[in-house]
Amino acid sequence: MLVALLSSQYQRFAAIAEAWLAQGASAFGVFQDGRPLVYWPSGHRLVRPSLSVAITKDEQEIADLRVAGISGIGAEMRLKADASMISYMLQLEDELQCMTADLVMSQDQQLALYRLTQSMRNHVTVMETLQALVVEGMRMTKSQIGFAIFVSSTGQEPLFVQSPEGALSDDVAWRIYWHTQSLEHEVILPDAEGELICPASIGNLLAVPIWVRGSVMAGMGLANRPGGFGTPDMKLARAIADQASAQIERMLLYQEMFDQAKLRTEMDLARRVQLDLLPHQLPKVIGLDLYANSRPALQVGGDFFDFIVGDGRPLIFSLGDVTGKGLSAALLMTMTRSAIHSKAQFMPFPTPEAVMRQSNEDLFNDFTRVGVFATVFVGQYDPGSQKLLYANAGHSPVIYRPFDGSAELLRADSTAIGVLSVSHCRNQTLNMRPGDLLIVATDGFSDARNLRDETFDIERLIALIDQLAPRTAREIADAMFETVDCFGGGRNQDDDQTLVVIKGAVS
Amino acid sequence: MEMKTRLAGDVNILEIAGRFDTNTVPPVAAWLEHVTVAPKSRVLVNLAETTFVDSTALATLVQALKRCQQVQGDLCVCSLRRPVYMIFELTRLDKAFNIFVDEEHALQSLSS
Repeated sequence: MLVALLSSQYQRFAAIAEAWLAQGASAFGVFQDGRPLVYWPSGHRLVRPSLSVAITKDEQEIADLRVAGISGIGAEMRLKADASMISYMLQLEDELQCMTADLVMSQDQQLALYRLTQSMRNHVTVMETLQALVVEGMRMTKSQIGFAIFVSSTGQEPLFVQSPEGALSDDVAWRIYWHTQSLEHEVILPDAEGELICPASIGNLLAVPIWVRGSVMAGMGLANRPGGFGTPDMKLARAIADQASAQIERMLLYQEMFDQAKLRTEMDLARRVQLDLLPHQLPKVIGLDLYANSRPALQVGGDFFDFIVGDGRPLIFSLGDVTGKGLSAALLMTMTRSAIHSKAQFMPFPTPEAVMRQSNEDLFNDFTRVGVFATVFVGQYDPGSQKLLYANAGHSPVIYRPFDGSAELLRADSTAIGVLSVSHCRNQTLNMRPGDLLIVATDGFSDARNLRDETFDIERLIALIDQLAPRTAREIADAMFETVDCFGGGRNQDDDQTLVVIKGAVS
Repeated sequence: MEMKTRLAGDVNILEIAGRFDTNTVPPVAAWLEHVTVAPKSRVLVNLAETTFVDSTALATLVQALKRCQQVQGDLCVCSLRRPVYMIFELTRLDKAFNIFVDEEHALQSLSS
């Protein structure tokens, strides 16, 4: 330290020496451990100095100033003042060096943290983030072992990474993690006063909790650092943990957005499947005024309707609701609709009962495997007799209103498709004279809820149909959608709403 | 929705309170799947406090019923409120399920 000061401030020491020589001294020099470091004039070894005063550092004598050929109180006081000044310069030099070292270290750490952020930015999963955290944490703190743990709040499998693999037993790592998690602050081991005993497998350890969304959901442990862990390491580890915390939060947000986008895509797809498969054009049937429409909910259900018209064959229509929501319900809906459609189209003499029984037989095993059923209404119109033959497999609400009577609920005669291995459906008959009205809807109407959580219910539906009966099929359907919407008062539609309106017309 | 489960003899009893629908089905479905694995498992679903069931909820019960039948067991429902009973009736699930007025009658039938 003194040698460094002498070489950097040589000119100033030379000036002090010149001043002494000018004042009458024969020589001036700086000595350490009895050996000269520097002296003036050259050649004078100051073997017998007349005055000697110690230079101190941290109250320790580390060297001395010597002069020869001059003495007296004045000279002694001046030499002491010079020694004191040099001591002070040494102290300043020391502080400067410490500050420089701190600055360099802090710059290194900032650079390392920047690198950590950069490297973490490339990762897209929490697992990758933890791996990067362990690698960077070990590198920055010069630790030989590192591990990181993440415990999700949504019940997913906890994540645990360590380096080198198998350096710590899972049990030890988890014990350390739960300890920091409960304390909610850093732990340094060995700690004579702490509750946690330093495991035999490691020499020293620093564990930091990582806060995610306001609670400790993760942690990092670094172990076996040569020389152990001190406060600067703790500060550094905390900074690394903060970086990791921000990164994990970003990852979780990304994951949530990804899941939401996936769900949205699935819902869009389900809605497209459902809407694309519904008939785009309604058949024109002499003697009937008919209309059908379906409005999928945000979370699509499994509603469908279908018209099967063949040359010289009576019109068959179906309406159904497969249990469940989303893409699976939409796919099962297409399966059910196709099964019914093909029976109605290709059976030699299809009747609603036969179509239903055959479809139940076809679908029962598959429906049992996936745990769903489908309520279905199948109708067949005979223009000659102005009668409608129908079979109802567990479907509701179905409302019939004869032109000269009031609306009533038609109850299903058998369970839904997929409930029992054998369908007990029977053909039933309805008059379809001018003015007779049949409305087959799905529970999206009767179960619609308002802001007070009340359901629209079948009673309201029956009353509404009595009121709407004089209108055309299309007008009745539109008014039903509108009335249910009004009732909901802006509440999101919980379930698909589908209906078929058939009204006897003058042929 | 709240669900409570208990055991009476060898009958697993499930009580469902509130709305039993698409949104509340998963825990019930998981429990039913768990208890219908054992041979001859007998399950009673008490719907005394159930205010509403939708088709997904019914499908869950039907699935459990089928699973019970596959292991030569049985599943009954009991104590249905009027609106819930109406849904069973309208969908004709009253033909598929054994429905009892109360737990006592259901347990008698299940243990006979």
